[in-house]
Amino acid sequence: MSTRVDTFAYDDAIVRKFLWATFIWGLVGFLVGLLIALQLANPVFNFGLEFLSFGRLRPLHTNAVIFAFAGNAIFTGIYYSTQRLLKARMFSDGLSNFHFWGWQAIIVAAALTLPLGFTQAKEYAELEWPIDLAIAVVWVAFAINFVGTMVKRRERHIYVAIWFYIASIVTVAVLHIFNNLSVPAGPLKSYSLYAGVQDAFMQWWYGHNAVAFFLTTPFLGLMYYFMPKAAERPVFSYKLSILHFWTIVFLYIWAGPHHLHYTALPDWASTLGMLFSVMLWMPSWGGMINGLLTLRGAWNKVAEEPVLKFFVVAVTAYGMSTFEGPMLSVKSVNSLAHYTDWIIAHVHTGALGWNGFLTFGMIYWLAPRLFQAPLFSKKLAEVHFWIATFGILLYVASIYSAGITQGLMWRAFDETGRLAYPDFVETVMKLMPMYWVRVAGGSLYILGMLIFGYNILKTWMARPATYEVPLVTAAPLGAHAPEPHAAPAGGLVASFTSVKWHRRWEGAPVFFMVMVVVAVVVASLAEIIPTFLIKSNVPTIASVKPYTPLELAGRDIYIKEGCFNCHSQMVRPLRHETERWGEYSKPGEFVYDHPFLWGSRRIGPDLARLGGKYPDLWHVRHMEDPRSVVQRSIMPPYAHLQRKALDFDQIQSRVDAMVMLGVPYGDAVTNAPAMAREQAQAIAAGIESQGGPAGLADREIVALVAYLQRLGRDVRQLPATASAAPAAAVAPGGGK
Amino acid sequence: MANKDEDRLLAHDYDGIQEYDNPMPRWWLWIFYATILFVPFYYVAPGFMGEGPGMVAEYEADVAAHQAAQPPAPAAMDDATLLAVLNDKDELQEGAEVFTKNCAACHRADGGGLIGPNLTDAAWIHGGTPGAIYQTISAGVLAKGMPAWDRILKPDELKEVAAYVMSLKGTNPPQAKAAEGTVDSTAAAPAPPGN
Repeated sequence: MSTRVDTFAYDDAIVRKFLWATFIWGLVGFLVGLLIALQLANPVFNFGLEFLSFGRLRPLHTNAVIFAFAGNAIFTGIYYSTQRLLKARMFSDGLSNFHFWGWQAIIVAAALTLPLGFTQAKEYAELEWPIDLAIAVVWVAFAINFVGTMVKRRERHIYVAIWFYIASIVTVAVLHIFNNLSVPAGPLKSYSLYAGVQDAFMQWWYGHNAVAFFLTTPFLGLMYYFMPKAAERPVFSYKLSILHFWTIVFLYIWAGPHHLHYTALPDWASTLGMLFSVMLWMPSWGGMINGLLTLRGAWNKVAEEPVLKFFVVAVTAYGMSTFEGPMLSVKSVNSLAHYTDWIIAHVHTGALGWNGFLTFGMIYWLAPRLFQAPLFSKKLAEVHFWIATFGILLYVASIYSAGITQGLMWRAFDETGRLAYPDFVETVMKLMPMYWVRVAGGSLYILGMLIFGYNILKTWMARPATYEVPLVTAAPLGAHAPEPHAAPAGGLVASFTSVKWHRRWEGAPVFFMVMVVVAVVVASLAEIIPTFLIKSNVPTIASVKPYTPLELAGRDIYIKEGCFNCHSQMVRPLRHETERWGEYSKPGEFVYDHPFLWGSRRIGPDLARLGGKYPDLWHVRHMEDPRSVVQRSIMPPYAHLQRKALDFDQIQSRVDAMVMLGVPYGDAVTNAPAMAREQAQAIAAGIESQGGPAGLADREIVALVAYLQRLGRDVRQLPATASAAPAAAVAPGGGK
Repeated sequence: MANKDEDRLLAHDYDGIQEYDNPMPRWWLWIFYATILFVPFYYVAPGFMGEGPGMVAEYEADVAAHQAAQPPAPAAMDDATLLAVLNDKDELQEGAEVFTKNCAACHRADGGGLIGPNLTDAAWIHGGTPGAIYQTISAGVLAKGMPAWDRILKPDELKEVAAYVMSLKGTNPPQAKAAEGTVDSTAAAPAPPGN
């Protein structure tokens, strides 16, 4: 009856390329992680080199692991499974290769620019605007290739793995574009289009959903393909797939504000973030249930098959971290956990357990098929599994306890009504043993990675001289008889629960994609529109003025050195916080902060109220050698700031960019470098008169000191209650 | 329903992968419904279970509730008490430890001055009587970057470290900072014998 049958071959060469990239970048990302873990345990591992200091390398670690390791792993699995699930070779080999090489070039660009200090200061969106443009181009090429493959598919309906790929591809594009909107102020420098509260909101809308749509949904897609393949069992429940897919897509988007509890973000947004996170618990677990219950009847295989062992731990880690996520989003829990290592432990359960182990399992399964030779050693894969599992346990056990310990120390009061640990460094020192245990755990995980690499390499070496390219035959779509869509009996509810409608959607992938976009955009706008439009979100504070040109230059140095990786600038309205740092932070303080610098982890003290706390000379000495002033500090030294000349001429272009963003700069619009020089002279003279080094007027340190001394000054002139003043809101900026 | 063999396979397969038409686990659905119902509940529920009056109002209530437990504002300390500490070897030793931990970073380990002024000469910027020294330490000189230590140090530690600072006078460490302020003729605090 079939009129025509196509004969074609899948493109596995591209899958092999992504596989190797996954291993190489994974190893790089893990090693950088180990280095920064060592830096926290002992600051000598910063080696006194600006390029290797924690603030520059921490973003390299996160970017390498997320976008290079997990990214290439996703592409490996997507290129392998999509072709087979759609019964079609990729739409364009040219686009596949453009995607591969473009993505690797972006990673190399990141690995060069981040240590050099080029950063937008937004977590997981640090890369500067030219690289952001390149990411958009490569991502669109990937999307075209993927959609093109769907269009020429030979399988009528799209399988659940494909749904998750679709959601990932479209949502990552939306997130990336809208969070990275910025005004360039130089070839590798830009300022976020948004300021303060709104910038923070956009960033965590992005940041949270990067976790969702880069580290969760694509990996769920991979799980839905490789788990039933490896277990040779049917997926537990099709209906569960449908419900948990759509609820994840719709609910995840709202949850971002839970990263900003007790900050200057308004209560309503924070509350929505929490409630949607709580609702996400079961949709997330839907994936775990469908994965684990797919193994019913195959548990005996788990005992023998390392691939399945990795999958079981991966899915279990996913279940743990998606229970923990909603829990951490509850405000009272968050008030303890925020800014501490608890969050670091949480993401590592996800990254090392879920993303890492799913990737390892997938590659162990793929390697013999791609390299057309049996896996070199199943035994070594077992060894890898146990070493890495033990490594994860050491890592998370130590870092959970570090987080909870420090959180409790911060909030403890003694019987005299004073903070029990007023000396911040004391709360850091308490963590040192746990930081060394983390180093041990991470090292084990890397050892496992090396064993893995050896095993894959040996498998590859046993490959045939030329790969066999099996030919596949399948009828083109038109030749299929469309599946009968009998109208289900019963009323509206029955026809909804029969999910026949969804079956029709699965037959129309482009429509399916549009529905995903609708879900994501509606959910996003529901929070974004009020964040930008409700004026009372950010009551104006009259005394808050733009940074002087020199302070702005100092702020750029603060950004360049990645200070925000360890220092928050956000005092929460909690009694122990105001006791320790001073008046809590108000939304109106940040109206000129492009980008916001609230930070997410307090490895060092909060700096929101730093201005005027110490003399200028304190800062000079402290930046030169932190331990000469704070004995047990773990901060890297920044002696190079005293050596490096400040680029005064560049300041004008920075001010100009700020003016474009609506910051009322007055005289500085034409006269920024001269104003900066004048302020620098005054500060340098003051430092010298206090007994400090002479000749700092043209050095970077002066700009940084100017910025640090400005922090929190504007509101200190206010009476303590003025913050609660009525919202006589005037939109920030606008002045010329 | 675990392991029942009447799992019904759906007709389709994708690259060999099949799916069961199993219902969603009931406990899963019920917890999901419960988390949805939690949304309206959270908005109306009273007290710590619900949204409450907002973070700032909660903070202000918390501050008010702990007003009584606040340490008292720094009180003046009479010279005689401080001089008594100065003559107590153990307490002076405690003061030295407090100094090393908290003050040495700015005033140098030997008090010769670094970021902050020299504490070993006869000149004082904010008064050199025992009471004035105690006051400077406890209330700080915020405009100049000297913190208010009464929120950080316990009352005994404040007395001990004030006495230790008094004991530094005339120790003449090498390369000390130049004297700042005025020589206070009323300043007591001769170095105790044998120090």
